[in-house]
Amino acid sequence: MKPYPVWLIAKSVLLEAVRRREIYAIVLVATLLIGAVMTVDFFELEGLTKFYREVALKIMSVATALTVIVLAARQLPREFETRTIYPLMAKPISRLAFLCGKLLGVMVAGAFCFGLFMVVYLCGAAYLGSSVPWALFAQYIYLQIVMLLILATLSFWLSMLLNLDAAITIGAIFYVFAATFTTLTTYIYDFTSPIGQFLIRVVIYAVPQLTLLDLSEKAVHAQAWAPLRFATMAQLTLYGLFFSALYFSLAAIWFRRKPL
Amino acid sequence: MSEQNGASVIEVENLVVEYGKGARRHRAVDGVTFAVQPGECVGFIGANGAGKSTTMKTLMGFIFPTSGSARVFGHKAGTVESRRRIGYLPEVALYYPFMKARELLELYGGLSGLSRSQLRARIPALLEKVGLGGKENVLLRQFSKGMQQRLGIAQSLIAEPDALIFDELSSGLDPLGRYDLRQVLLELKNSGRTIFFSSHELSEVESLCDRIVMIHKGRVLKEAPVAELMKPLNQFEVVFVPPAGFEIPESAARHDLRHDGEMCRLLVNDIDDYPRVLSDLTARGVEIRRTASRTVSLEDYFIELVREAEEKP
Repeated sequence: MKPYPVWLIAKSVLLEAVRRREIYAIVLVATLLIGAVMTVDFFELEGLTKFYREVALKIMSVATALTVIVLAARQLPREFETRTIYPLMAKPISRLAFLCGKLLGVMVAGAFCFGLFMVVYLCGAAYLGSSVPWALFAQYIYLQIVMLLILATLSFWLSMLLNLDAAITIGAIFYVFAATFTTLTTYIYDFTSPIGQFLIRVVIYAVPQLTLLDLSEKAVHAQAWAPLRFATMAQLTLYGLFFSALYFSLAAIWFRRKPL
Repeated sequence: MSEQNGASVIEVENLVVEYGKGARRHRAVDGVTFAVQPGECVGFIGANGAGKSTTMKTLMGFIFPTSGSARVFGHKAGTVESRRRIGYLPEVALYYPFMKARELLELYGGLSGLSRSQLRARIPALLEKVGLGGKENVLLRQFSKGMQQRLGIAQSLIAEPDALIFDELSSGLDPLGRYDLRQVLLELKNSGRTIFFSSHELSEVESLCDRIVMIHKGRVLKEAPVAELMKPLNQFEVVFVPPAGFEIPESAARHDLRHDGEMCRLLVNDIDDYPRVLSDLTARGVEIRRTASRTVSLEDYFIELVREAEEKP
């Protein structure tokens, strides 16, 4: 598979994301929310900077994740709906290269969105005089991108099985409730029967645990946490890549034999 | 240009394409066989739902044959290799509304393996050719349906392909657009490119094509060179009064002669015979009362064939 056609497809996804201005709208809303956090005056300065970090990072994570889910889920249904897929797939490009290009485009658009949030966040941090724990912060960003990759590939796969609305809804539910589910299972595990525990373990292994890739809490309380070790980062990367590869492979298998 | 050791550009053999499953299974293409040779311009005609678009989509690899085979330039239809030398215009297509015309052609050209310098040289000329000169930097959301169709033609030609597959060629074009398109096609045909297209504009097919393949209910109804097909459809009528003891000349004997009172009506089905028949009749002293030509269009012929096929059990 040649990289240039993949990049061309990715570029078209990025161009759409940029020209449709949805990303800017999301960033604007998120900026207003982050700005609102900065006006809170019932904390002393240190409390305020922590509160700012906590809320701002959460807003950034959620907004970027939802952006990526929507972008990824709509790529293929939109191509079918507008029939733009026909002239595209009439060119000498394989279905796999097309899919890789779409994924790369979604990831680049997601990273662009995240980059915009970072600028807003850093401006806010500078305004409040809050120090940025750079090492931990870089790890947080990196693992967020790994998590976005899982969400993008999952949304791709879902968009082949379901219609656009259903794919977005399930993708969003999966993201929003993943953390709740992990917390819930942690609490109930000890009070469950052996069969229940077995089932919980199966679910935990079968479904990607997105909370593992979320370092926002550590970044908020950075003074209490050292950056993760390289081996841990490598393991988390492999964990993310495993699920991404799994979902992407399923999407590619589906798409390979899908009549256009 | 399109030559490949004399092999067919398009080869469809006993192609069957079915949609749906179980009770809802529908056979859209039912054992279609035909071939398109290098440099030929072949029209693919049929009523709506006849199986034209399904066949063309199979050739492009968008859908897969249930049985039979489809090959393009010797490669199995749908493979990257089979699409390398093909330009395709889909039946209905919109183009990314957030892109400019130039960006779209850069995308399609790049996917076809063209370099940036090649694209820079080709795009303005190509847009000029399809009547979109000066529209390079206009967003496609501002394009009308006709302009989109012209752009579609441009994208199919961007890589200067050896063969073109056009599904519903003049769909969405106004008469001026159709005229321009015909000129482009004639130019392509004269440059030796292979063209395979479907159209409901049968006059267009008649004037452009070397050969036609008629399809009805997923089956080939007729396949013939246009000239051969149209020859017997052009009838020449001679109405004359035969002299006493008139014997029909040999040149006229193989045509349709009908007696109508003291007059005779001869229908000559072959233009090549017509002058000879006239001179032989005159030589035998007949009094010619009237001559007329009756031209049956491809459309009339097509309708007649389809009706006949419909009436068959």
